[in-house]
Amino acid sequence: MKNIAISSAATLCMLANTAFAETEITLWHGMGGALGEAVNDIAEGFNASQNEYAITPVFKGTYEETLTAGIAAFRAGEQPNIIQVFDAGAATVIAAQGATIPVQDLLEANGVDFDIEDYISGLRYFFADADGKMIGMPFNSSSPIMYYNMQALEAAGVTAPVTWEEFETVTAPALKDAGYVALSQSHLPWIFVENFMSRHDLPFATNNNGYDGVDGTEILVNIDPLKAHFTALIEWQDEGYFEWFGTGWNDNQTPFENGDVAIWLGSSGSFGGLSKLDLDFDFSATVLPYWEAVTTEPKQTFIGGAALFAMSGQSDEENAATAAFFQYLTSPEVQYMWHRETGYVPVTEAAYELATADGHYGRFPAAEIGIQQLSLDASENTRGYRMGFYVQIRDVMNREFGRILTGETSVSDAFNIIEADSNELLSRFAQTQN
Amino acid sequence: MKRAGFATRWLPILLLLPQLAIIAVFFYWPAAQAVQSSFYLEDPFGFGSSFVGFENYTHLAGSSEYARIAKFTLLFTILVTFFSLALALLLAVKADNVIRGARTYRTLLMWVYAVAPPVAGFIGLLMLNQTWGPLAELSKTFGWDFKLGVNFGDTASAMVLVAVWKQVPVNFIFFLSGLQSIPKSVREAALIDAKSSFRRFWDVTFPLLAPTGFFLLIINITYALFDTFGVVDVLVKGEPGNNPMTLVYKIYVDGFRGNDIGGSSAQSVILMVLVLALTIFQFRLVERRIHYT
Amino acid sequence: MTDTRQIPVAKRPLKWARVLDHTILILGSLFMLIPLLMLLQTTTTTDLETIKNGPELVIGTQLDDNFRAAMFTASGFSGENTGLRMLMNSMILGIGFAMGKIIIGMMAAYALVYFRLRFATFAFWLIFTTLLLPLEVRILPSYEIAQKLGLLNTYTGLILPLIASATATFFFRQFFRSIPEEMVEAARIDGAGPVRFFFDILVPMSQTMIAAMFIIMFVFGWNQYLWPTMVTTDEGMYTLVRGIKQLTQDLEGTSIPEYGRANMLALIAILPPVLVVILFQSWFVKGLTESDK
Repeated sequence: MKNIAISSAATLCMLANTAFAETEITLWHGMGGALGEAVNDIAEGFNASQNEYAITPVFKGTYEETLTAGIAAFRAGEQPNIIQVFDAGAATVIAAQGATIPVQDLLEANGVDFDIEDYISGLRYFFADADGKMIGMPFNSSSPIMYYNMQALEAAGVTAPVTWEEFETVTAPALKDAGYVALSQSHLPWIFVENFMSRHDLPFATNNNGYDGVDGTEILVNIDPLKAHFTALIEWQDEGYFEWFGTGWNDNQTPFENGDVAIWLGSSGSFGGLSKLDLDFDFSATVLPYWEAVTTEPKQTFIGGAALFAMSGQSDEENAATAAFFQYLTSPEVQYMWHRETGYVPVTEAAYELATADGHYGRFPAAEIGIQQLSLDASENTRGYRMGFYVQIRDVMNREFGRILTGETSVSDAFNIIEADSNELLSRFAQTQN
Repeated sequence: MKRAGFATRWLPILLLLPQLAIIAVFFYWPAAQAVQSSFYLEDPFGFGSSFVGFENYTHLAGSSEYARIAKFTLLFTILVTFFSLALALLLAVKADNVIRGARTYRTLLMWVYAVAPPVAGFIGLLMLNQTWGPLAELSKTFGWDFKLGVNFGDTASAMVLVAVWKQVPVNFIFFLSGLQSIPKSVREAALIDAKSSFRRFWDVTFPLLAPTGFFLLIINITYALFDTFGVVDVLVKGEPGNNPMTLVYKIYVDGFRGNDIGGSSAQSVILMVLVLALTIFQFRLVERRIHYT
Repeated sequence: MTDTRQIPVAKRPLKWARVLDHTILILGSLFMLIPLLMLLQTTTTTDLETIKNGPELVIGTQLDDNFRAAMFTASGFSGENTGLRMLMNSMILGIGFAMGKIIIGMMAAYALVYFRLRFATFAFWLIFTTLLLPLEVRILPSYEIAQKLGLLNTYTGLILPLIASATATFFFRQFFRSIPEEMVEAARIDGAGPVRFFFDILVPMSQTMIAAMFIIMFVFGWNQYLWPTMVTTDEGMYTLVRGIKQLTQDLEGTSIPEYGRANMLALIAILPPVLVVILFQSWFVKGLTESDK
């Protein structure tokens, strides 16, 4: 009798232990501060919601540092299960076939339903391949939108401009008279090149914006509409309508927060941070202006931010855990929580509907602008871009734009250099892929 | 030169082993690796690579961006070396002159040696912040609208200022030490002979400090070329943009930030050659020094 | 013939040259000190105050709060990157590096100076060459090798590659060569072997030199920035100086920059090496100037 009791007790213990032996996975990300805490909240929620899997998020520094750390880990055979890769690094990760498992494949292999139409239109294709298969799961997605100081615009007697023509003829002069600098922005390449192309329905690079492959991809920035835009920027700068505070994001945001600048082009994700500050004024947001002269049918913008990639070379159990995490992450409740806390857009339509039903946008109208902008009309030029060495290409742009804005070079010279340097970088990247 | 010593065979080898092992693994192997990688263009994940011969080098030779950075590095090195040495010499001579408070001055002037370059850069950010930095505001009263991170020249000035601030103490210590080791007899003879302290300095003190000066020249050049990495990184806040940067910073930007292994290796090799040339030059000077001491 | 310079100090008329000397020295000292004082001031006020006004002449009341925030709060899932943790890592790096350099350097120098080795010259040149190339030019391949050996995010990986240069070896070699040869002869006559000679005679004689080297190397290790930036991406491994990079990143972020905490951490990053250098001034200066080749 005793023996049976002991062995049943032992078996029960063993069973209990196996039940508690969780598959552990890691997530490497580049979200610091309050954003990192939100990531931790999601992780804790996932771990608490079931007891088969446990995820540990690890902060690895900036986006660039996270990617470099991930590459080093991969070469040492110690890669994490999930890594957060930003837009500029997407080409590096996706071109290295074998480094990651496409998210769509991973989910389907683990019995999770996947339909790309569940995702908000402007988010679907940036991290997908040429056939529309989603390789990276958009995570902290944002789009550039226009924030404005409501009191400032009232004082000047204007409304937020819909077109750049309206801005330069009506809005800016009035704001200047009211004592404000009309405009500042925080990321010239992202807002005034990448999303400029998308909004105005212009191609950004050959090979279908680079999606069709690395060989022969060339950048298409040296075009008149873009050069005209920058020429206008210089004129606005001379008139006092626009001021550039350097390449740093915060350097251009602070003057808006101080009330010196009336309109600021930032990220839809900046909404969370701005609300927490005790600003002296009320702010709101709207979609980016466009040039009527370039197009009368402006299109959607595409996402910036980063996506989560599942790294290859992991065991089946860990892949199942990763799939389960993605499933949890994309559930409407979790997406709504993430959206509410950080200001990043929810990735699924279902989450968007949940937020609407909850009255979130009644309380915070500005929070909806990013999603609305991402849901505008699409075209083949609005899916995003896929270019290698893109971090360096952005550095080239930042450098030349800085020179334009400090009067060191002319617009046409700068764009010639950007085109030449970028194409050189693209062809060198193509050579690394052999 | 025969020296007295011990005759055991195995002990010295054992003693040398750790040093040799470490430098084999962490000096010679990386150096060789850098040279090898400079001839390839590799995928950072390791999935592919192409042999490109000297293409990485010709790309750099033809790059106006690289030329711009090289020019800035040269200018930066000259400015930092000159001002660090000049200010330190001035302060050392004065510190040598005074009797009262000499030790206090020495302490006050040398503690910055222990501040790390990036922390110095961080303090620089504080002082030169566009919106509320005290130095930025001060310069505005002089009509200089200082814009860190916007204006290339302003950011460059900030880098030079911070780098000099950090380096003056080292030079000061050496110069003061050099001054204090001038024999009393020489000083007294100079006092009698020379008409003014100015002549005294140029005719007597300066030549005696020359060996120290040469040594410091090399130290300062090395500092400006390499150790100012932290200053540059913090002052540009991690965004190259249209900011000045040194050659060593570019290696970091291309290699670590941009994942361009081949390109950054070629840049490393170029810098290696530069440093080699510099050191050979220094050793020629040192040899000559030994002859006339 | 009477020397007017013999007039006792109390009655000596004010020499303008001396006043000028003191003025220059005071200005120099202020140049060094004021940035630090400003940094200190910002740690005593709230973040919102700093954002609006920058350093001011007010001493606020937040010193204690900011200190606690810096030392004990952490962000991140693991809650590991507190100021306390970073302080500990900096200590480990500084002390570990200094000890490693001294031990390995002394051993290698001993082998080179006191033994007759056939390949001594060859070993000497191998080691000497490492002085030619600073870490920065071989930083990326060193990183790859550290990664291959599994040394990323470990203390070994943080410290060991930094030791791969021969500065300490050279320093001790020079010092050993200056020790009179009679000591070795005397030891041999007494029947002491190489090991006893080393521990009983050489090491005690080298005490001052070891202390001086320790101070210099501790400061050098503590202040390392580029290598820790690359090798440690786990928050729990950050040193204070490497953490500066993190702080600048946070300040560029989109939420309220935590100036109080950041500036406090910068201050904590400065204090230990500065205190060491000030308290042990004479050893430090001696060590620095003696390592002149």
